[in-house]
Amino acid sequence: MRFSLNFIQEFLKVDTSPKELASLLTMAGMEVEGLEKEGSDWIFDIEVTTNRYDWLSILGISREIAAITGKKLKVNYPGSLTKFNFTTRDIVIEDKGDCPYYIGRRIEGVGVSASRAWLQERILNCGLTPVNNIVDITNYSMLKWGNPLHAFDADKLEGNIYIRRAKKNESLIGIDGKERVLGKENLVIADSKKVIALAGIIGAKNTEVTETTKNIFLEAAVFSPLTVRRSRRAAGLDTESSYRFERAVSPQLLEHASCEAAKLIADLSGGKNKGYKVVGKKPQLPEKNITISISSLSAYLGLEPLKLKVKKILENLDFKVKDLAKDKIVVTPPQSRFDIKREVDVYEEFSRIYGYDKIPDQIPFLKRNLTISNQADYYHFKGELANLVALLGFKEIITYSLEEKEQLTIEDRDVIGLINPLRSQENALRTNLLFGMARSLRHNFNRTLKGTSTQGRLRLFEIADTYSKSKKGFLETPTLALAISGKEGGFFLLKGVLEKILSFLNISNFEFKEGSLNNFTNSLRINVGNCNLGFLGKLDQQQKKDLDLKEDLFFAQLDLSICAKTRGQKRYKPFSSYPAIWRDISISLKKSIKFEEIEKIIKAKGNYLTGFTIIDVYKGKDIPSGYKAFTLRIFYQSTEKTLTSSEVDSFHNQIRQSLSQQQGLNLR
Amino acid sequence: MENEIKGLEEEFQRDFQEANSPKELEILKIKYLGRKSTFAELFARIPTLAKEERSTWGKKLNAFKQKITSLLEGKEGQAKSEEERIDLTPPSVFLESGSRHILTTVSEKICSIFEKLGFVTIEGKEIEEEWYNFEALNIPLEHPSREAFDTFYLDIGEKDKGKYLLRSHTSPSQIRVMQAAKPPLAVISPGRVYRPDQVDATHSFMFHQVEGFVVDEDINFAHLKGVLLHFVREFFSNKVELRFRPHFFPFTEPSAEVDISCFVCKRKKEEEEVKKCSVCKGKGWLEILGCGMIHPKVLKACGIDSKKYKGFAFGMGVERIAMLKYGIEDIRLFYENDVRFLKQFSL
Repeated sequence: MRFSLNFIQEFLKVDTSPKELASLLTMAGMEVEGLEKEGSDWIFDIEVTTNRYDWLSILGISREIAAITGKKLKVNYPGSLTKFNFTTRDIVIEDKGDCPYYIGRRIEGVGVSASRAWLQERILNCGLTPVNNIVDITNYSMLKWGNPLHAFDADKLEGNIYIRRAKKNESLIGIDGKERVLGKENLVIADSKKVIALAGIIGAKNTEVTETTKNIFLEAAVFSPLTVRRSRRAAGLDTESSYRFERAVSPQLLEHASCEAAKLIADLSGGKNKGYKVVGKKPQLPEKNITISISSLSAYLGLEPLKLKVKKILENLDFKVKDLAKDKIVVTPPQSRFDIKREVDVYEEFSRIYGYDKIPDQIPFLKRNLTISNQADYYHFKGELANLVALLGFKEIITYSLEEKEQLTIEDRDVIGLINPLRSQENALRTNLLFGMARSLRHNFNRTLKGTSTQGRLRLFEIADTYSKSKKGFLETPTLALAISGKEGGFFLLKGVLEKILSFLNISNFEFKEGSLNNFTNSLRINVGNCNLGFLGKLDQQQKKDLDLKEDLFFAQLDLSICAKTRGQKRYKPFSSYPAIWRDISISLKKSIKFEEIEKIIKAKGNYLTGFTIIDVYKGKDIPSGYKAFTLRIFYQSTEKTLTSSEVDSFHNQIRQSLSQQQGLNLR
Repeated sequence: MENEIKGLEEEFQRDFQEANSPKELEILKIKYLGRKSTFAELFARIPTLAKEERSTWGKKLNAFKQKITSLLEGKEGQAKSEEERIDLTPPSVFLESGSRHILTTVSEKICSIFEKLGFVTIEGKEIEEEWYNFEALNIPLEHPSREAFDTFYLDIGEKDKGKYLLRSHTSPSQIRVMQAAKPPLAVISPGRVYRPDQVDATHSFMFHQVEGFVVDEDINFAHLKGVLLHFVREFFSNKVELRFRPHFFPFTEPSAEVDISCFVCKRKKEEEEVKKCSVCKGKGWLEILGCGMIHPKVLKACGIDSKKYKGFAFGMGVERIAMLKYGIEDIRLFYENDVRFLKQFSL
């Protein structure tokens, strides 16, 4: 909200410099976001929090300034102007819940023209645009007292005034020229024939005050905040008026606002007040007495007890304060503050004026319920794992949790959609991390890596939740995704990375099982017993094309909740102090036979076997077609002695013999 | 013999002066010490000398041999290392390394600062029930205060429409913890949050927050101030100051917004510099978080006796903190994952 310092001076003589005032207000909770000089005036742009409806008026702001600067406010309440009811039309409220209190006034013989300079300046400096003297006066009154008013051209009204809900398919063309179809959500002002305003939000074109208007019907009312909120949301607009009604307006000031506007209209446009009509009852707010213990207040804020200071500050804020006992006072907040309901609200009022900066800084000794601990959560586990994966050369990425529903399948999972997505590209919670990963890779292939030394070589990872519906409710699964681009490495690099991660987690009894996954050419599942920890695979060519990836993508995903549960304790394992000895075997193997078969044989026969590795892949001409050739190096070691050459030879020969009996395998 | 040795020595000195490369020195070695050298000839003549002269000349020759050997080797060593010297100014070998994302690094850093004070880190759930995101936090249905926390609702059939949502802040984890465990509590809770904001340089429909709270019998506003001052001094620099501005949040009372003194223009040092500062826009202060004393209604909603227990809570946006600390001007950079961005925060 914008307010002008000259306008404030109508209630209060301010001699603090504008800059200092801005800083005082900011430090009391009325944040001044902008301060500008405009002629002889200063314009303050303030943020009004939703609890302070009373700051949406010059009176309310003046009250705050008075409290902060310790000054007295001078308010001339306009009071009641006319004492007679007009009889020309009735005002009928359908539901007092929507509108408890309504004042209509009739002013005759007005001359509509541009406002005087001072009035235009008031309005302009508070951020509104002058229209004509009548509208400007209603706006002036709204700014000053906080109560939005509306002036109708009385000659365009037909019959009585009704405050009622809109009927189905009724519509209204607002003074903004836009037509809106209304419904039962909308509270309207209507005459006997038509809708003349969206109550508390905007007037209709059909009864707008124009240059030819002679007689005015001036509306002042209290509308239910919730009704106005629902109505303006349904109608899709937000106005100065609805903004105030939604946050509540003061019933106490309503008469004054209405009265002053009527008086000004008469004074400035040559009209005559011709009576008023009041419908409903002015809502009475019960006086609220709150007992405050000074020592509790001080303990809450971390201050020494300051009874006199507390009383003084609250009195400056227009609270009534009575002594009750040595440590106790009873306070009554002013009528304008229905946000003050309990002790803590009073604590806040005191502390914000006293100054948060005067409260000391202390570090408490933090006690803690031992049933909760850092171990209870995945957070640190995820951090440790992320550090490991980064050490393996992967860069961590963060991608959006929201995806397009149709994109999401790798495995069958029940997708959770959104009711109100911003765009169809983000209308569901993702069930895997593949597409965010692919998007990041694509971005880098297309933009970053062109012509640089990295040239399509990427290792990326993300740790984030994946989401799905299950019988028990919603599942949020912490998940690790790993990606290696084709130029960086292949499947076996990724498999090696996974083995490294599993070894870090001390999960040793895992196995890779070939499986088939949507969108992957070739894939392995990682299982521990009956549990599936995740998978790795190469994205198929169709997906690679659909995702517009310039390089192959090797992708793996691990379910971290299962990893955390399966994870083992690290224990030191002694290692042999005797040398390891190796023997090589050159093998050609039929392509239809998997290496797995060789592994089984070696492991079955392996006395003192400690490991094996492929040291060479042979691609010469003498390999029969349909075969692949390689050299395997097998390591032998004892924990008790140095193995002799002949011992090793005998173990090794057993393996050779078993291998030679295997179909489709030749020793070379 | 004496003249011959002298002649040889003089000749050697001349040659030695001229020889510089390892190759030339190698030739000298052969010339003077090789099997066919004059020196070898002289040695060969020793047995022909008179008995008493043999040892004298033998010693002299050996001394001479040692001298030129050491001279040659010394110079050769120098020449060799001279040859090995290279131009050290060409580009170095490029090392690729892994990295953590700056947002997770910042989140972890924030949590660890609070953990050292005794806080426990607990992540909440991103899928929340309406009640936890709003009512329990004293944000009534259809109240204007809800507007700041608009969120995405989950599509789970008509029956539960509006019941489940993506949390719009990390505060619901406060409620979850307080329902599950009794005070004293000190918890820090990081995570993703969601609001239906169109993406631009400063908005994102998904971002990260860190929430913290303490509940115990004698907790007060001064503790909140102290804990946050400790945090910003650990995180930014031990020279920053804090400013607590009264504000409104439905779930705290009193509430405050907290600014740190601008660590770029250092505030006040030169009035003119502050005005020009592009980071704080001349204000001298940067808003970094919201906080306050937990509202008694919130404690009550969690079954905690607000007469006995008090608490404070605070929440901050990780993106905002990272943007301020590292001078990042566009929030989209965090989610685009451009390698040129990522690698600036390598391990």
